[in-house]
Amino acid sequence: MSSVRERLDELIGEFADLDAREKLELLVDFANGLAPLTADYEARKAIEDRRIHECQTPVFLWVESDGGLARLVGEVAPEAPTVKGFVAILAEAVNGRPLQQVADLSDDILDRMGLADVLGILRTRGLRAIVARVKREFAALEKAV
Amino acid sequence: MPAYVHPDVLVSTEWVAEHLSDPSVRIVESDEDRALYTQGHIPGAVEIDWAVDLQCAVVRDYIDRAAFEKLCAERGISNDTTVVFYGDKNNWWACYAFWVFKLYGHKDCRIMNGGRKRWQLDGREWSNERVSYPAASYTAQEQDGSIRALRDEVLKHQKAGKQLLDVRSPEEYRGERMHMPDYPNEGAVRGGHIPGALNVPWPMNCNDDGTFKTAKELEQLYIKELKMKRRSPTIAYCRIGERSSLTWFVLTYLLGFGNVKNYDGSWLEWGNAVRVPIAKGAEPGGGSSASSTATLHA
Repeated sequence: MSSVRERLDELIGEFADLDAREKLELLVDFANGLAPLTADYEARKAIEDRRIHECQTPVFLWVESDGGLARLVGEVAPEAPTVKGFVAILAEAVNGRPLQQVADLSDDILDRMGLADVLGILRTRGLRAIVARVKREFAALEKAV
Repeated sequence: MPAYVHPDVLVSTEWVAEHLSDPSVRIVESDEDRALYTQGHIPGAVEIDWAVDLQCAVVRDYIDRAAFEKLCAERGISNDTTVVFYGDKNNWWACYAFWVFKLYGHKDCRIMNGGRKRWQLDGREWSNERVSYPAASYTAQEQDGSIRALRDEVLKHQKAGKQLLDVRSPEEYRGERMHMPDYPNEGAVRGGHIPGALNVPWPMNCNDDGTFKTAKELEQLYIKELKMKRRSPTIAYCRIGERSSLTWFVLTYLLGFGNVKNYDGSWLEWGNAVRVPIAKGAEPGGGSSASSTATLHA
């Protein structure tokens, strides 16, 4: 299996040469592909504090270790397809890969995808906060394991 | 029963559905999350994005007149087009785009009452097809200063004790928060409000389905309870000018206030500006904060 860095580079590559409209369409494809929560996570959502408070719309993220491998599970309100698509991309990059590799998620993903210009600076802050949160929580998990 | 003073600026989802192929009408979507438009928009609607299309990249200002003309021309909007705005978030950004169009003197602007939410609730069709129209020719006017307030004018207005409306959440108004609940802090270094401003959070204008409250309900709020006067100059602000565009729209068109300006610099400018007074707490007056009176004369 490829590393987080390699998978991320591939994902970034998918966006790189697209025009603004195509980038948004691909982002929406990712958003549409984010699996709904399973009954187990749906039940946990009600009792665990997994809401990302930096985000403008309801976003819930679970950052977990599955035998030393990363498992990122997320739910994003349908009115925020940008955030939903971005969470789907992060999950695609890290899931099933060693926890310590999550640190390789670079902070400039949005710039490298060319999404920063398509979205404008104010919109990207919440997304950058998600990257920071995911990296921080996986790092804490790695220490605990 | 009182009616809206300028009911013609508001159209229903039904009206829009009947005018989808009317060449004299252009439907424009403006969203907080612009991927919503990509995902599905009203058939034939074009997108105008508040951040990418309406803001100038190098000056903190709107695009200039020439850029606005180009923006309209590219979307097949000419001077006599009826432009109908709608969007997510109870039409905040739709009202913002409407306001920018008025800033450049576009004659026939309307809002689709209820925005995306009402269109969805009505079970109407969404399309994800790309939309393009033959280029039109557009001539904009110079910016209309009568609907836009800049900082110095707000300061004079505030000192004169004229009608000021802060449409943010009560937590932001009191200075406990510097951003909307659940939104990231976008960088104001002081929390509070402009002294003298009344706090009328924008949701008080809207129903749960995204439509505007009735004329009677709006009159009850602004005229009867808050004792605001239709003829007195009024300035509305929020954090970056989008929620206050909605209140500007309500006061100007639904209630018929004669002189309302949107302060688009809003709290992101005022909360960072040197030597402007601010007030903290629930009272408009500002007497509760030493800084609110001292800074001006320091």
